[in-house]
Amino acid sequence: MAQRPQKRLFSRKKVCRFCADKEVGIDYKDVKTLRNFVSERGKIIPRRIVGTCASHQRQLCEAIKRARQIALLPYSGSIQG
Amino acid sequence: MRRYETIYILRPSLNEEQINTIVDNSNSIVTDGNGKIIELDRWGMRKLAYPIRKELQGFYIFCDYSAEPEAVAEMERKFRIEDAVLRYMTVKTADAISDEEIAEATDKAANKKIVSEETEESADEESSVENDDADTSEEE
Repeated sequence: MAQRPQKRLFSRKKVCRFCADKEVGIDYKDVKTLRNFVSERGKIIPRRIVGTCASHQRQLCEAIKRARQIALLPYSGSIQG
Repeated sequence: MRRYETIYILRPSLNEEQINTIVDNSNSIVTDGNGKIIELDRWGMRKLAYPIRKELQGFYIFCDYSAEPEAVAEMERKFRIEDAVLRYMTVKTADAISDEEIAEATDKAANKKIVSEETEESADEESSVENDDADTSEEE
């Protein structure tokens, strides 16, 4: 049986930022934190890339969508424009 | 009694008086229904992330309060009629809130305000830069 190519061992273990720092709450009014979790185009960055845990990603998603509703974050397009 | 928070955005062209009347009206709806205002924060003029009704800026007002669901419905009905309100959003933060909790939260909000006023100087600088931008575009 052919040996499988070894998996890349370099992927750093991602830690959920909200689990690591309990003081940082998820709040739809806190645009500064939320901006770390949307792409330049304004899309929500998936969990596999930012590494937040499932429950926090769900809260984050909700918060970003609320922030979009009241025009604190864009639905699409760059953050400045 | 439930605890809600509402953010509404007013047209930037309004003067101080018009803003005050809208804020007072919405507050009186809450207080008439035996609700209590916990925190009222005027965030002031902010750039919108996207244009709403062709406005690029808006006057943000944040209000944290306890009220019955009927009061919220009434307030939102008024917002829908009012032309000056560009956008509103109400979020329920607690299903039930007692009088003691209200008092506690009000104190907390008041303390927070004092702290934020001390640290506001740096934030003011940022906002003044934005205002400068707006001024130049108006001149053009």
